[in-house]
Parts: sequence; structure tokens; C-alpha cells
Amino acid sequence: METEELKLQLKKQIIEFLNLISVKPEDIKDDEPLFGEGLGLDSIDSIELIVLLGREYGIDIKDPKEGRKVLVDINTMVAYIEQHRTK
Amino acid sequence: MRPLFYIHQSSCISPQSSFEPVDIDQLFEPADNKLMAREPSYDGIPPGILRRMGKAVRIGVGAALPIIKGPAEINGIIIGTANGGMEDCIKFLNQIIQYEEGQLTPGNFVQSTPNGIAAQLGLISKNRSYNITHVHRGLSFENAAIDAAMQLADHQDNSYLLGAVDEISAYNYNIDWLGDWFKDENTGSGTLYNSGTKGSIAGEGAAMFLVNRQKENAAASIIAIKTLHTPDLNLVQQSLVNFLEQNLAEGERIDLLLSGENGDARIDPYYHACETLMGEGTTIARFKHLCGEFTTASAISCWLSCHILQQQRIPEHMLKRKGNPNALNRILVYNNYRGEQHGFMLLGRA
Amino acid sequence: MSRIFVTGMGIVSAIGRSLVQNHLSLREGKCGIRNELDLFPSKYAGVLPFGTVPVSNNELRQTLHAQEPGVTRTSLLALHAFNEAIADSGLSPEQLANTDTALVGASTVSGMCLTDELYHDANKKEAGSPYLSSYDNAAVTLYLQNRFGMKGVINTINTACSSSANSIVYGANLIRHGLAKRAIVGGADSLAKFTINGFNSLHILSPDKCQPFDEQRKGLNLGEGAAFLVLEREEDTTGKKVYAEFTGHGNSNDAYHPSSLSDEGEGPYLSMKEALDRARLDPAQIGFINAHGTGTENNDLVESVAMIRLFKNPPAFASTKSNTGHTLGASGAIEAVYSILNLAEQEIYPGLRFEHPIAATGLIPVQSYQKTALQHVMSNSFGFGGNCSSLIFSTI
Repeated sequence: METEELKLQLKKQIIEFLNLISVKPEDIKDDEPLFGEGLGLDSIDSIELIVLLGREYGIDIKDPKEGRKVLVDINTMVAYIEQHRTK
Repeated sequence: MRPLFYIHQSSCISPQSSFEPVDIDQLFEPADNKLMAREPSYDGIPPGILRRMGKAVRIGVGAALPIIKGPAEINGIIIGTANGGMEDCIKFLNQIIQYEEGQLTPGNFVQSTPNGIAAQLGLISKNRSYNITHVHRGLSFENAAIDAAMQLADHQDNSYLLGAVDEISAYNYNIDWLGDWFKDENTGSGTLYNSGTKGSIAGEGAAMFLVNRQKENAAASIIAIKTLHTPDLNLVQQSLVNFLEQNLAEGERIDLLLSGENGDARIDPYYHACETLMGEGTTIARFKHLCGEFTTASAISCWLSCHILQQQRIPEHMLKRKGNPNALNRILVYNNYRGEQHGFMLLGRA
Repeated sequence: MSRIFVTGMGIVSAIGRSLVQNHLSLREGKCGIRNELDLFPSKYAGVLPFGTVPVSNNELRQTLHAQEPGVTRTSLLALHAFNEAIADSGLSPEQLANTDTALVGASTVSGMCLTDELYHDANKKEAGSPYLSSYDNAAVTLYLQNRFGMKGVINTINTACSSSANSIVYGANLIRHGLAKRAIVGGADSLAKFTINGFNSLHILSPDKCQPFDEQRKGLNLGEGAAFLVLEREEDTTGKKVYAEFTGHGNSNDAYHPSSLSDEGEGPYLSMKEALDRARLDPAQIGFINAHGTGTENNDLVESVAMIRLFKNPPAFASTKSNTGHTLGASGAIEAVYSILNLAEQEIYPGLRFEHPIAATGLIPVQSYQKTALQHVMSNSFGFGGNCSSLIFSTI
């Protein structure tokens, strides 16, 4: 899958998984922080996103601290997915 | 009789047009024996918070919003809910089974705890004061109201957000249906009360009140509350006799009995027994065709009582027996949950 | 207004099936947390440590003569503790059934300990299980009410992990306001696949036995149990054994996050402060704190910060969750019983497995058994949804 295609797919998955009411894929910028400012996600969301990576891409992140390095923005997530996906 | 407290503001999300604009003369009918809440657009709830809310939390917070966003300082949040976010609870349960206890998303788990409504209200309004959730099945609202009365007796100048909420989820509907608590035959508001069969129709809703001890400008008052656990009909009747003796002043009478009758032939005898204790002048009205049967339906009856006391008029479709009241000053609510939990509430015109 | 005295206690936990057993275990620093779980099939049985009550449901049913269909483990644990409390206080069946005896319970798990049965009943429309009316939070309280024919005010409270601390307060309020002459108050929770997976999904279950207030702590262990206390008015206790006076309580919401506490610990600070104010005590008068101390990164740090804010130099403190695991809705009542034992026996029990203080706060919990003069003991309980409660008990 092309990187751009993967980005769009991931954005759609994040919106659905976190039930981001009234957010559209194009509203999420690739380099916009997911937590704090940007999308305003919190600690529970970070765990949910780790589960998303597990269920959709077969990526197993055991340590939430490791997760924090991956879950910076769409770019970091996609880079990690491309490197570590098992499905 | 000095009331326990006064109700200053009330707000309700129910299967009827109870949220602005209020119109309870118009009647919305159940579909598949369920009366679902008519939800507003929730413009006041930030999308980032709204996205996590299950229905119980949503309608609870939505109904409370006009009060917590209002000018009154709120010194505590007291909520009754038998089940809280049942839908989230079962969603998490289903995850446990589906993913065989693997990696699960915690959102549903966190939202499933019944104190989530009071907690969310505290969070939204940054209210760090008294915060509690009563979960005593069919008497959750009554116990919350008793709590509010005790808090106000201790803190005369305080104001509290008092309310209750419960939801229909596909799941608790299944459990209660298996338990024989809902009718098998398709039932509408016209046939609910004279079916002669077991069970009722399912309902849901949220009613929220701003309560304090200030008489000025109050909408209504709660004069007394009594709860009882027993299947014994005579005990219920005796308890009501005592309740009225203790709480009606000389010359006062009940102008309206608001009965929790729900069309379940097994429960009807309790309501009939209480009706016989009312004088001929007392009007008898019913409300479960408006909101359905659920654990905190009595909170809806409390909201309806406020509305009726203020309007001095009872919608035609609620009437069971017309008495001869000159004015509506005293309303008695009797609600019976499954023949075992009984609540009496005496409300007065402010 | 009447003073409220504690005249009876009953308890069952991972460290004992009676008040006496729990007391001995606390003195000896026993831990009831084990890598065993045979209550129901779970992926985490034998993998994660739990504070299981080492008694099977069958044995509980038999010894308690509780053969009613639909009775769950949570109700059985509750009945066990309830029986001990009313016997300890010498309440007669007539007193129990009197309209002036209140019952206030608390449970967060209730019949959901039967996670698989609930799944079946909630999703299928086949024949229901015998547990249809056993799942909700009130089911445990209603079981006791029904079994003893209780006719006073009956209530159930859920403020998550502080639930039964609040049922103690509600019961005391009923007495103070003349709505009851006596109140039996407490809570029960049993282990459940539901809560194990819930806390696990939040990554706050420790793979090892928990280490409250330790720098290296890895999370909490779930436990189970029940405790009930009998509260009576001072004037009704002439000639009766009295353990302690219930002198203060505070309830505050942290209003920060659904499942974690704020950095500055506003909710914990306010609940402890309100309890002190209500008891008309200065911070220095508290001799010991039974801390909430779950062993999670968030709780223990925030609770320490709040204790330092309020007490400057916090008094002796420890977390009995290192003995029992976190018993959720039961923990407020269980730890109230332990706090009252502190007072009644004039002794402090050691917190277990502490090694290094949290760098940011440097607080060190009590690590050895001590005989000491105590007049006022505080017990903290903080729950999801920011529901913080503190109780103070005092010698009479």
C-alpha cells in the first residue's frame, strides 16, 4: 500500500475507533500532534490507538511508553506501521 | 409542614417533548414496546467529550446542562441511576468474549461505571464538591432525593443538582425481557393500562433538578419522601396511611395522585390499593405511557409534577379519574418497582 | 446531634474469613495475594496475582445456608460479613426487621462476577439464567434486605472504588437526621473477568504483587471481599461494646479525568481536608492514615502529593491493599474496619513490599508492626470518575 493511501486509511480508522464526531479525514493533518493541542486526545485514547494498531496491523506494543513515541502524529504512526506491520 | 426542599429549575430528556420546547399534550407512541428518549442536539457538550458518552451519560449530562450552565452555584451533584452506562458495560463484555480477553479498548470500561454521569457532570462544570451516585434499582432517585434533603438540612444555604437517569440498551432490554418484565404483545399508550397481561413497555429518560431551601421563586417543593421494601400489599397500604397522616396538615388533601401504574397486571393491585385510600375529590393520573417502565421513572414523574403544579393543568391523556380540585396544591406520587420497591413522594405547589 | 458509634464489624478478605483472622493477618504482615484463580476460567488465571478469598462458592453456600437460586459470589461474601457484623453487635432478628434499622450497601461488580452468564443473558433470547435479577449493583443489598426482612431505609451506592466509604457516610447521615436508629453499612465485591479485563485494558494491573508507594511500583492487584459495620447512636449503646466513634468524612470530586487523578491531587486534598474540618481536628491530630494506596503510578504519587499539601509532614501511613489487593467497592468498608482495628487495638500494621520511596515525594509508609497510642485514624478511598472520600474514626 502506498504511504498516502495508508495515511488516509489510518485517519478513517482513528475517526471510527475513537468516535471522533464531526472530524473528517482531511481535518487531520499529517504532522499535527494527536495529543494535547491538535486533536486533543488523552491517555485513554492512546491505549485505544495501541489496540487499533494491534487489531488492524498486527503490531503488538506492550509498553505504553513505547507507544508514546509512536503516537506523535500521523507521520510517525504510518512510519511505524510500514516498518512493523504483520498484516 | 416545612418542605424537605424546593425545586427551582427542572429539565428532562424523555421519550416525549419534555426538553425545550416542552409540549406534553402531544404524545409519542412506543415502537416495539420501547419508548426511546427524544435526544436534543447537545450543542452545549464539547465534541471531544460527547464522542465518549454512551446514551445514559449523554441524556443525563444533556438534561443537566441547562442547570449546571445556569447562574446558580451548585454545591454538590447527587444522581440516581440503577445501571448507568449499561450499553458500554455490555460492549466491553462483548469485547472480552470476542477477543478472548486479549487487547481490549478501555473506553467502554471506563464509561460503564454507573458513577460516570455524576463524574462527567463534575468534570464538565469543574465542580469539586459533594458528588455521589445512588444505584438502588427502582429506588435510586428516591434515595438520591433523601440524600439531597439530608445535605440541605446540614447546609441550609447550599444548592444541589439532583437527578436521575437510566437508558434502554439492547442488552438490559433482553435481560428484563427474559425476566418477564415486558409485554409480549405489541402495546401502545391506548392499550397499556387495560391489557390484563403481565409486563410493561420499556422506557428511558433523565430528569434533573436544581434544589435548595429557598422558597422565593421556587417551582415546586418536595414535602416528604418514604421508601419501603416489601411484597406485602397490606404493609404498603398501611405505610401510605401513615405517610399521609404524618405529612398532610389539617384540612389538606391530595389533589392529584400520580400513579406509576405500568400495565403489568401483577402490579396493578398495589396501585388500586393506594387509589382506594384517596378521597373522591382526588384526581388520579398516570405517566408510564409517557416514559415507559424503568428503574428511575419516578424522576420523570417528579418532573411532570413540577410541570403540572406550575401549569395547574393535567394533560388529558394522563387522566384516569377526574376529581374536583379547585387548585392543584398537593401531588402524591406512588411508584412501585416490580412489586417489591415502593416509593411515596409528596410534592407541593411553591 | 447524636454521636455515631461503631458497635459491630464483620469482614471477609484474602487475609481472613473473620474479624479475628483479619486482625491476626494484619499483625503478622500476611499477604493474601497469590498467583491463583480458580473461580472462573480466565486467561489471566495463574498469570496475574489476585487477592482471592480462599473459599469456594459451594462452601460459602453451605456454611451460610444460602441455597437460593440466583445468589452470586458477591452476595455470599456480603452475607458472610453481614452475619458477623450483626452477631458482633448483638442485633436481634426483630431489630433487623424494624423500620428504624437501615441498610446501606455498595458494590461495583455485583452479579457481573458471572461475566459469562451475563454475556449469555444480555445477548440471547433463549431461556434466561437464574441470575437475571442478580447483575445490577443493588442486587447484593436487596438480597440481604430480603433475607432478613429489613423494612427501614435501604440503599446502594456506587462511586466506583470509594463506594462503601460513601455507604458508611450515608448510613451515619440517616441516623443523624432521625431516619434510622441504627444502620448496617458496608460493601462487597468479588473478582470478575469483567474487572480483570477492564483494569488490564488500562494497563494498571501489576504483573507482580503490588508495592504501594514504592518508586518501582507496577500497578495494582485486584482482590475481593466484603465488610459491614453496625452504626448506632451513642445513647443506644449503653452496656454495649463500642469500637470507635465515626467523627468525620469528606467527599470531593477531582473533576480532572474519568480514570486518573490530577497532578496536584485536588480531589484527595479536599476530601481529606473536609473530613478534618468536619471532625474539628488539626492535621497533626491524625495518628495514622490507611491510604488508598493502590500501587498504581498515578494514585500513589497523587495521594502522596495531597498528603504533603495537607499535612506538611504526613503522619504514619500504609496501604492494606498490599495485604488484600484492591477490593474495589468493598475497599472503603474493609479499610474502615482495619482503621477501627488500629484504634481499638492501639497498633499499626506494616505495609508490605515497600523498598524505595517515590523520588518526587520521599514518603515512606510504615513497614513494621508497632504498638502506639492512637486517637484519630483517617481512611482514604478514591475512585474512577474522580470520586474521592476520606473517613475519620476516633477513640471514644
